[in-house]
Amino acid sequence: MLVPTKKFDLPTEVISNELVAENHYLLRCSCPEIAAGALPGQFIHVLIPQGSGLLLRRPFTIYTVEGDEITMLYQLIGEGTNVLSSLKRSDSIRVLGPLGNTFEISPAPDPAVIVGGGAGIASLMLLAAALRENGAHALGLVGSMNSARLLSVEDLEAIGIETYIATDDGSVGHHGFVTELLMEILETHEMKNPQIYACGPDGMLRVVTKIALDYRIPAQLAMENRMGCALGVCLGCVCKVRMPSGGFEYQRVCTEGPVFNAEDIIW
Amino acid sequence: MNNIQPSLEIDVAGIRMKNPVMTASGTFGYGSEYVDFIDLNKLGAVVVKGITSVPWAGNSMPRIFETPSGMLNAIGLQNVGVDGFIDKKLPYLRNFDVPVIVNICGEQVGEYLEVTEKLDAADGVAAIELNISCPNLHCGGMSFGVDPKLTDELVKGVRGKTTLPLLVKLSPNVTDITVIARAAEGAGADGLSVINTALGMAIDINTRRPQLANVTGGLSGPAIKPIALRMVWQVYNAVSIPIIGMGGIMNGEDAIEFCIAGAAAVAVGTANFINPRASLDVVEGITEYLERHGMRSIEKLVGSLEVP
Ligand SMILES: Cc1cc2nc3c(=O)[nH]c(=O)nc-3n(C[C@H](O)[C@H](O)[C@H](O)COP(=O)(O)OP(=O)(O)OC[C@H]3O[C@@H](n4cnc5c(N)ncnc54)[C@H](O)[C@@H]3O)c2cc1C
Ligand SMILES: Cc1cc2nc3c(=O)[nH]c(=O)nc-3n(C[C@H](O)[C@H](O)[C@H](O)COP(=O)(O)O)c2cc1C
Repeated sequence: MLVPTKKFDLPTEVISNELVAENHYLLRCSCPEIAAGALPGQFIHVLIPQGSGLLLRRPFTIYTVEGDEITMLYQLIGEGTNVLSSLKRSDSIRVLGPLGNTFEISPAPDPAVIVGGGAGIASLMLLAAALRENGAHALGLVGSMNSARLLSVEDLEAIGIETYIATDDGSVGHHGFVTELLMEILETHEMKNPQIYACGPDGMLRVVTKIALDYRIPAQLAMENRMGCALGVCLGCVCKVRMPSGGFEYQRVCTEGPVFNAEDIIW
Repeated sequence: MNNIQPSLEIDVAGIRMKNPVMTASGTFGYGSEYVDFIDLNKLGAVVVKGITSVPWAGNSMPRIFETPSGMLNAIGLQNVGVDGFIDKKLPYLRNFDVPVIVNICGEQVGEYLEVTEKLDAADGVAAIELNISCPNLHCGGMSFGVDPKLTDELVKGVRGKTTLPLLVKLSPNVTDITVIARAAEGAGADGLSVINTALGMAIDINTRRPQLANVTGGLSGPAIKPIALRMVWQVYNAVSIPIIGMGGIMNGEDAIEFCIAGAAAVAVGTANFINPRASLDVVEGITEYLERHGMRSIEKLVGSLEVP
């Protein structure tokens, strides 16, 4: 769903920046303007502090909104996230947002099946909260390499979401992929008006799409890509989207996305 | 201390501007994308994304990659096409009191001419910027801008179709940029935009694949500033039409450097991605510099390089 939210580019201070799982941090800052307008799935574009030598900003989904504060949950990937992880309380950063579209959540799914792979779960937390506020029945499926890297399970359970875990090494929960867990859930739970919401590595999203098509369940994916401006002008972050007319179009993850219907994505 | 209030107003190539700062094509969309951050009325000019005769889908992904102090892009000129631009994008820009410069591109001369005719007839176009870095279908994909004859033919053709001010945007991917600059001037260009992106590439050494699907792409940002400055200086010494300098301008000081090298105006590109207010910050930076140096305008600065 496209939403014309007003965007802000704000200087702000880090309130906290903590290691929450192996290789993953949660950064909190105060951004009243962004917090006020943020919708599930929307993201911020963060300027990596001066001196890092990096030019472009880095995009991260808004994980939670609490009053004037927003948080982002991020994985250490490369230089940018490494610099971010070294930020301390009262260090300044610049944040651009809120950006992108949002998930479609009405009519209320029954159940909403939320599938996060790795840091992908970060893009689904505001959605989970919105679904609960709407009284929707939601299930959380969280996939991780191992128990040490497991994210968000407590946060999901705290808002009353029944959560299932899959780990690659079997250290906790289902031993295997979160997509296997998804199949199992679809087979064993009553599906009245199901809707799948997923974010994670491309490989996982492709399997989720296949499952959704096989089971004829609508699925929405939060897509990621290298991003330049995040404002829709550089056309760097596109993905290939099937058009009703039969052709395709390159659509911007930052503007038409990050949320797309799974069946529309051409991998 | 003197209290001279500098005037930034200038006329470049027949385009009247409130200040010498434009946005670089492809880095500012169609203007509307930036209105949450800046008042478009405060810009010297808005240069829009390259337009072609029909909409172009663009290249496959990945299209961009960050490199030290710069970025590579191979977008493939994804754009709405000239009709889409005139119907859907231009009306919005008419709400502002800012010159709109339309960057145009094509794979053959005929396409450029068609786009020019339509823009010439449209309401609200202040000037045309000819991107001659596009691959020419009839010359095995060689860009118009690397050959003085092709440049001459293209610029003459477009010149014949419009009375609007005509800027020709030069490619840095040439042996001697002054040859192309003179060809464009001789064919009737009113001004030259210097430079477009510099061809580059990057490789993922683990997969041994190129970082861009297109293998090569255009380098922009601070990484190319020294090259751009050198080319502005060379072109300034070779032609008598005004130059719009661009390539890695991040702030007012960078812009002043371009003016000293010979640019009558500047364009801000990649900086818009990092700081959405960059273009206006450059305007403010130029003003501060002029105040600090007791100068009334930038005109005296243009090409004022003191060669030892
Ligand atoms: C809309 C959007 C929302 C996002 N939200 C989040 C979020 O909430 N939490 C989070 O942790 N990440 C999120 N990401 C991904 C995040 O932006 C990247 O991980 C980050 O930009 C990496 O920056 P870096 O400088 O550390 O790594 P870079 O130096 O930019 O990248 C290092 C290497 O990792 C590759 N790479 C880049 N991104 C990823 C990725 N996502 N997965 C695997 N490899 C990658 C690069 O191609 C490069 O080879 C989001 C991305 C988008 C587009
Ligand atoms: C993503 C991107 C898209 C661009 N698209 C165009 C274009 O459509 N037409 C054009 O003439 N130049 C295009 N350019 C080149 C810029 O207008 C400018 O000449 C170049 O980037 C150098 O300036 P900079 O370093 O300030 O970005 C593009 C540049 C970038 C980074």
